[in-house]
Amino acid sequence: MTRGDRLLIVALAVACLLAWPIAAAARTSGESVEVSGPAGVTVVSLSEDRVLRVTGRTGELTVVVERGAVRVLEADCPDHVCVKTGAISASGSVVACVPNGVVIRVGGGDGDGLDARIR
Amino acid sequence: MAMGSTLASADALSARMTAPSRAVALGAVLLAVACVLGLIEASLPALPVAPWLRLGLANIAVVVALAVGGLRTAAAVSIGRVAIVALATGTLLSPAFAMSAAGAVAALLAMAAAKSSGPRLSLVGWSAAGSVAHVLGQFAAAALVLGTGSVLVLAPPSALLALVFGVVVGSLARVAVSRIPQG
Repeated sequence: MTRGDRLLIVALAVACLLAWPIAAAARTSGESVEVSGPAGVTVVSLSEDRVLRVTGRTGELTVVVERGAVRVLEADCPDHVCVKTGAISASGSVVACVPNGVVIRVGGGDGDGLDARIR
Repeated sequence: MAMGSTLASADALSARMTAPSRAVALGAVLLAVACVLGLIEASLPALPVAPWLRLGLANIAVVVALAVGGLRTAAAVSIGRVAIVALATGTLLSPAFAMSAAGAVAALLAMAAAKSSGPRLSLVGWSAAGSVAHVLGQFAAAALVLGTGSVLVLAPPSALLALVFGVVVGSLARVAVSRIPQG
């Protein structure tokens, strides 16, 4: 590794750390789950356990809200990255199934993961 | 092995590789290596912390191609591998393919820029830049395909991990280049 390499690596690392939202450290638990996909958008509360069947581009996903967190239980997709991502509960966190075009986002709480909302 | 001598040996190899048949042969071998590495890696378990990320071992071949064969050879190895794997797995023209292709193109541009900045950067630097660009390109494509930027929150930590992988890949590529016989 040359000195230039080291400088570049440090610069890239710093850029990543700066881009990382500072809110991530002060993340609050979310209140609602927004599931958006080709079939539409559904918003449900995180406080009530339920099972959602979501229709995606390549098949169906089974989304489970349980104990204040949401995760994908099963999905019709090649790699199951969405299933492997596991449960999320922090405001602003995301689980996505790209082949199906489905995004699950946790919102609400103090931060909502957003810096500002224009109404 | 000292950094300068790896680049020097790569340049010497590069000079001998200018014959078109040799360049094609080199590209073909590295493309095959990239495909094999990609398949091996696909059979490895995903990272628990970031299951959407891969080590990118196949890019060892791309970085070697860039060092010894130049940008065109590297592009052939990179794009060729993405296309062949997509054909083999039946994912050609799918969102996953769009992400792979976007990542591969972004990585090539970043590595070409790194290489053209001169001897200040070695293969490790090229690979580090390429790896970060790759992940950012994939996230950009994913955001476009999904129609929302909400996945971008995952980009900074992913890019940081990719940076580490890029250093590993670049180091392995450096070792590979140093072992190519000069004679």
